[in-house]
Amino acid sequence: MSDVMMQRREVLRRVAWMLGGAVSAPAALAILQGCSARDPAVSATAFKPKFLTAPSQMDIVTEVAEIIIPKTDTSGAKDAGVPAFIDSVLADVYPKDAQERFAVGLGGFAAAAAAASGKPFLEQDPAQRIAFVKQSLETALEGERNPKPFILMARELTLLGFFTSRVGITENMEYVAVPTAYHGCVPLSQMKKHVYWE
Amino acid sequence: METNSFDAIVVGSGMSGGWAAKELTEKGLKTLVLERGRMVRHPDYPTATKDPWDLPYGNRITQETRHRKPVQTRTGYPTPANQHWFVDDLDNPYVEEQPFDWLRGYHVGGRSLMWARQSYRFGPLDFEANAKEGVGIPWPVTYDEIAPWYDKAEIFAGISGSVEGLYQLPDGKYLPPHDLNCVEVDFKKRLDEKLGRKLIIGRCANLTAPLTHNESPQRGTCQARNMCIRGCPFGGYFSSVSSTLPSAERTGNMTLMANQIVYELIYDADKGKATGVRVLDAETGKQTDYFAKIVFLCASALGSAYIMLNSTSSRFPNGFGNDSGELGHNIMDHNKPGNSNASVEGYLDVAYTGRRPNGFYIPRYRNVGKDKRDYLRGFGYQGRAARAGFGRFNDSAVIGEDLKKEFLEAGPWNVSMTAFGEILPYHDNHARLDRDKKDKYGLPQLVINAVVRENERKMEQDMKNDAAEMLEAAGYKNVTVKSDAYNVGNSIHESGTARMGTDPKKSVLNKFNQVHACKNVFVTDGSFMPSFGCQNPSLTYMAFTARAADHAVSELKKGNL
Repeated sequence: MSDVMMQRREVLRRVAWMLGGAVSAPAALAILQGCSARDPAVSATAFKPKFLTAPSQMDIVTEVAEIIIPKTDTSGAKDAGVPAFIDSVLADVYPKDAQERFAVGLGGFAAAAAAASGKPFLEQDPAQRIAFVKQSLETALEGERNPKPFILMARELTLLGFFTSRVGITENMEYVAVPTAYHGCVPLSQMKKHVYWE
Repeated sequence: METNSFDAIVVGSGMSGGWAAKELTEKGLKTLVLERGRMVRHPDYPTATKDPWDLPYGNRITQETRHRKPVQTRTGYPTPANQHWFVDDLDNPYVEEQPFDWLRGYHVGGRSLMWARQSYRFGPLDFEANAKEGVGIPWPVTYDEIAPWYDKAEIFAGISGSVEGLYQLPDGKYLPPHDLNCVEVDFKKRLDEKLGRKLIIGRCANLTAPLTHNESPQRGTCQARNMCIRGCPFGGYFSSVSSTLPSAERTGNMTLMANQIVYELIYDADKGKATGVRVLDAETGKQTDYFAKIVFLCASALGSAYIMLNSTSSRFPNGFGNDSGELGHNIMDHNKPGNSNASVEGYLDVAYTGRRPNGFYIPRYRNVGKDKRDYLRGFGYQGRAARAGFGRFNDSAVIGEDLKKEFLEAGPWNVSMTAFGEILPYHDNHARLDRDKKDKYGLPQLVINAVVRENERKMEQDMKNDAAEMLEAAGYKNVTVKSDAYNVGNSIHESGTARMGTDPKKSVLNKFNQVHACKNVFVTDGSFMPSFGCQNPSLTYMAFTARAADHAVSELKKGNL
């Protein structure tokens, strides 16, 4: 492990400890507002969030989702409408405590990203952002996962939104609305896609 | 008054009510069917044809729904695809003296629209257990007496399954069985070899082939969509809406009314008979009396007990037909203390196509034959093997293009299964009315107090240990046995509140589901069960309802009612 990675990890740990449930949502918003630079490509979208309304919140979540499921030769998170999905689930499905944990965690994530590289997350180059998301995920998987840290919530929401979207399903799975029959043992070689939607 | 008079009144339009309606109307009785919830007609099911991306929030329940339906949603059953079938708890309150999951579907079809369709016979072992062990009261009916009615129910409903020759789980009249998938076949073989235990395909009310009769032209075969709980526009599974109610409708003898809350039986002390029912219109609050020669209560075990407890008179000061003091007591369900799962290595080059609305079943083997345990009765397992979906990424750090690539290769196989254990009848497990607590209609609330006790707790040890033993014996990895808090009611099999028996001092109903003390009232939902087996009960309600209706019409013709 390189020294730089060690440092990032240490910064993340400190921020996580510092935030550790004691920081309120408004405090997290303040942290976010401290790094409000926007990626013009992202803020050009017309979508009006219901929950992720503070500056940068929607943009950071959008970038994180796209890093988790990027556009390649098939659609990515943005194509599938995942950012709007995440906002709506946060607004309407999540209970208050989980909403607050997400907002606080998002603030912590942004602060840690800035602390680790000296630049706000949205101003980092793509490789830096990807490395930071990956690093955050690895750290989170090693640590306490109940309640879920921000990055795990963000990934769970990204996967849920993507794999329940039309493009996410139809491009990655065999989706048959009316299968007509069940066959219990089919060689993958005979299937159109290896994953059958169920 | 003329227009309010019928030959028969059926209260409830679900599993039992639909059968009562069909049998009574087919035998020529002008029958009024009263349903407390809204109208549902086949094939109008609002979410049935929605694609997954048309369901909001990835099919997750909103806080708003959680607020309206706190009991229903705490169980995890409702989703945006099916939540319209689950009752609004704020409008339909009850009192939980002990935690009790009362899952309800107030609409035409009731829970027959929402059920899991598992359809097993109770066998001689079940019908004889109470008498042999001195538990509760003996069943007044033998397996041989009910067997022809099981035949009738299975043939009409269309039950798929395999013939196995098991004493503890009698075979029935089946449509072709579903396939076990490749890993389930492997599991079956290993269980048989290593432990001598049986694994069979579930027996379920889905049409794997056309019905063997032509009484249900509105029904087609199962299309393997596995969206049954939304209601099936193909009529691929049995519900009263797709099956029994259309049969009743075709006779021209049925009047079906929705939004009619039956809250009381009308008793004529001089005649010694019930003359009808009192009804509140759920939308207008208007009160109406309806009259008939016979009344079938099919409002669910707690619903029917509620109506009877609320029907007091000088003859029945403690509730209708409650000379025994057992009305509302002996609540049973199936104990379900947790799910077990394991991961399976191999089989990576095979999968399945179509969505099977069914799983495997491991029939009861405890306290069967020579097996003797330190508790009474037994349990069965329901489960399935499947390839893991995107949830498998929760434990990995893979993201980006790697994640997309990995997803395209189907996930590893896993097996999961859940034990359903018999709960004994205990007088103390009961429901009663609290006349000081009213709902929005001004009707008293039901108070429910039921818990599992020593026998169930002892059995739980086997339910968990045996699951681990079987998954390990099969050579599967990462065996996990969960201990979930189980609230009575959570298996949605509540029953026993007006048990049948030969002795009127100890039971509410006789062997034909007639109230001992008032023979023109029949109760044919789960209320009548004196013991509960570990099998899913709906098929048994169908069989007993058909038999009771046959008896009712024959007695009516003889002038005995």
